[in-house]
Amino acid sequence: MKTKTAKLLRTLPALLALYILATLPTAAQQLTGKVVANTDSQTPLIGANVAWKGTSIGTSTNANGAFALSLADAVTPEIIVSYIGHKADTITVAGKNNIVVQLTPNNKLQEVVVEGQQARYSSLTPTNSQVITSRDLEKSACCNLAESFETNASVEVSTTDAVSGAKQIQMLGLDGSYTLLTTDNIPALRGLAIPYRLNYLSGTYIESIDIIKGTGSVLNGYESISGQVNVLLKDPEKAERVYFNLYGNSLAKFDANLNLATSVGKKWSTILMLHSNYLGNRVDRNDDDFMDLPIGTQYNVFNKWKFSHDAVVSEFGVNALHENKVGGQLKYKEDIPQEQQLYYGTNSETDRFSAYNKSSYTYPGRPYQSIGLITSVAHYKFKSSYGFRDYDGEQNSGSARLIFQSILGHTGHTYKAGLSYTYDDYTETLTDSTFGRTEHIPGAFLEYIYNNATNLTLVAGSRVDFHSIYGTVFTPRLNVKYDATPNTIFRIAAGKGFRIANPVAENSAILVSSRAIKAKEELKPEEAWNIGGSFTQYFELGGRPGTFVTDYYYTTFDNQVVLDMYSEPTQALFYNLNGRSFSKSFQAELQYEVLKGLDVKTAYKYFDVRTTYNGQLIQKPMIPQHRFFVNLGFATPFDKWRADLTGQYFGLMPLAPIEQDNVHKSERFYTFNTQVSRAFKRWELYAGAENILNYKQENPIIGTDQPFGSNFDASMVWGPITGRVVYAGLRFKID
Amino acid sequence: MKTLKSFLAVFTLFFICVGANAQTQPKNEQTLEVKTSAVCGMCKKSLEKAMAYEKGVKSSSLDVDSKVLTVVFDSRKTSPDNIRKAINETGYDADSKPASERAYKRLDDCCKKEAGAH
Repeated sequence: MKTKTAKLLRTLPALLALYILATLPTAAQQLTGKVVANTDSQTPLIGANVAWKGTSIGTSTNANGAFALSLADAVTPEIIVSYIGHKADTITVAGKNNIVVQLTPNNKLQEVVVEGQQARYSSLTPTNSQVITSRDLEKSACCNLAESFETNASVEVSTTDAVSGAKQIQMLGLDGSYTLLTTDNIPALRGLAIPYRLNYLSGTYIESIDIIKGTGSVLNGYESISGQVNVLLKDPEKAERVYFNLYGNSLAKFDANLNLATSVGKKWSTILMLHSNYLGNRVDRNDDDFMDLPIGTQYNVFNKWKFSHDAVVSEFGVNALHENKVGGQLKYKEDIPQEQQLYYGTNSETDRFSAYNKSSYTYPGRPYQSIGLITSVAHYKFKSSYGFRDYDGEQNSGSARLIFQSILGHTGHTYKAGLSYTYDDYTETLTDSTFGRTEHIPGAFLEYIYNNATNLTLVAGSRVDFHSIYGTVFTPRLNVKYDATPNTIFRIAAGKGFRIANPVAENSAILVSSRAIKAKEELKPEEAWNIGGSFTQYFELGGRPGTFVTDYYYTTFDNQVVLDMYSEPTQALFYNLNGRSFSKSFQAELQYEVLKGLDVKTAYKYFDVRTTYNGQLIQKPMIPQHRFFVNLGFATPFDKWRADLTGQYFGLMPLAPIEQDNVHKSERFYTFNTQVSRAFKRWELYAGAENILNYKQENPIIGTDQPFGSNFDASMVWGPITGRVVYAGLRFKID
Repeated sequence: MKTLKSFLAVFTLFFICVGANAQTQPKNEQTLEVKTSAVCGMCKKSLEKAMAYEKGVKSSSLDVDSKVLTVVFDSRKTSPDNIRKAINETGYDADSKPASERAYKRLDDCCKKEAGAH
């Protein structure tokens, strides 16, 4: 009896409150308010979303920025206020009937930026995205984009051949050419530049990297099939004023980088980024008389300017690079023509120049509405020789994109619409044959984004392009994100991709072989559908956060340019897909801070990638079915000391057959990388080792004794060539 | 197991020594309270990190609600002015001294004053 009374007494105030609420005049049963921009002018925000937290019940503000919500709909006394171009906010409204909500604008290029979320696994993006932060970037052996993925499980980097040292990324088990590379969301290093593109972006240029799995947005064109890698370059406004990096390793390879950033007046800021790398030492650790990696020098300059004033933000960038590389036999003399010497060698000289501008204007008083123009030009030219085989190429490109972004009624429905034009001019010369093409591609795109402000985001986009050679190309894409709870997120991505292959450039490994390169027929554009989904669970265990992500993607090709090394051991045949070609990729990844300061990331990956070669559906060579990945990262408070260990396991890979050679499968192997760094106020010292176990593929080059003979092939690379590499370096920063 | 035990013993001893060491020289230790323009948990992280790299600073702690940063420092190695300057260079006001403009621009949006306390 007593307890009952106590209970009643406790509930009484609540009941009383309810009674009062219920009897109050209608106006008081509502929460009314106004949403304004948190700027000097306090501009009312029209069409802002206001919703009760934990419900899907909400409204949007009217022309004066005012809103009204029924108190009866509340489950907690908190509202969530969001508005495009502003930071969303949760506000406690307990005991209030009228409030003014101030939202702070994001000063960013909203219509084009994939936000650089600092959390590695973003819960906000509609696509399955991961971020490599600048902190993650410092964990790997610096230097260039290829090394930046070392501590990430979603992207693999592999060496294409045993002579040129080119590195390629792979996503979902598909070649790097199916992944769209963008810098600051502008497609970059396309076409002929693909084989070496990872070497052309220095690690010190990069602020962070977004990895998007599956076909992303249609805004960036139709080319992405397996995903997108967006590299966010340093922001002139926010970069360190001085950043200097020096690196050296046990192969005697050196890297030097210098970034200088400054503000010029109140509206302008600029950053100048310089990079150079040099290897002069001919390394041959497997005693096959071939250099394990090419010697050479690269000079790379990037200058970026940013203008920002009120509603206008504009960025300009110029990049120029020159690179020369020499590979092949140790005794090869690059200054003597190949015909006059006995030793096999490869030579390449590359020049690239590119420039871009990205401007946006946000309508005053309407932060959800903006217009942006993105233009870019690029010139890429290389001359190369592989033994007696000469391969030269030139690509000149230009592109322009106009994007308009606005809302339909309120910010729950937004759209981006635009027009694009791309020009590409290719010329390639392979030994005696010259081929090339000129493409003009005007296009239009529309993307609609539905966001119910609580748990559902839908992005439906499509684009139509009018290709001057291949006719009309229609590209639909869909991304859906559903938050079952704030910590449980489901995503679905489906869409189409289209691209024109540059078979020789994209498979440069075949140049370093005695295989005859032949195209059986006129090659058609590649077309593929990609569908997949992911599940993300954030959790907390023992007060420390963790993330579990698993995803599955299926890519199927309507047409593909098939490189057939199976059918004829002496030939590399290109033809159009006749039959099926697909990739099934599964990944499960778990990240958890096991102890304070000790972060563990593990991943398992399964790939089933098959293509029809000469009527037979078989496994694509050199892709392991099973892979494991583990990364242990330790940091003392404030990152004064940091240590990292990354291990990878590669399962068996099928290989293409070669005459007089009994190796048809790779071996299972492990690689381990480690790095330790110590930070001071301005200095940071780091030292590390790659491939600690010193695992090397035996005889990566086939037929080394007769490089001009009929069995020479350096393209069968499935494992590390150089073995253990120890490195050390220093960074100096002035903020 | 035995090695683990001895390892632990050495470890504990080490910490006792460090602790004792710190206790023997408290006379140069000073505590400074600085009113800053920090507004959120992220500011707390970046300020305390910046302080950790300052010469002579032993420890620091920001109370987000009151915006007061408490810094314990060695008066032989640094001074209150140096500490305030370091706070400015991180992008925050320190008492009456305003933040360095460029450093302020570099802050994440949520750490800027306009964002208001949250």
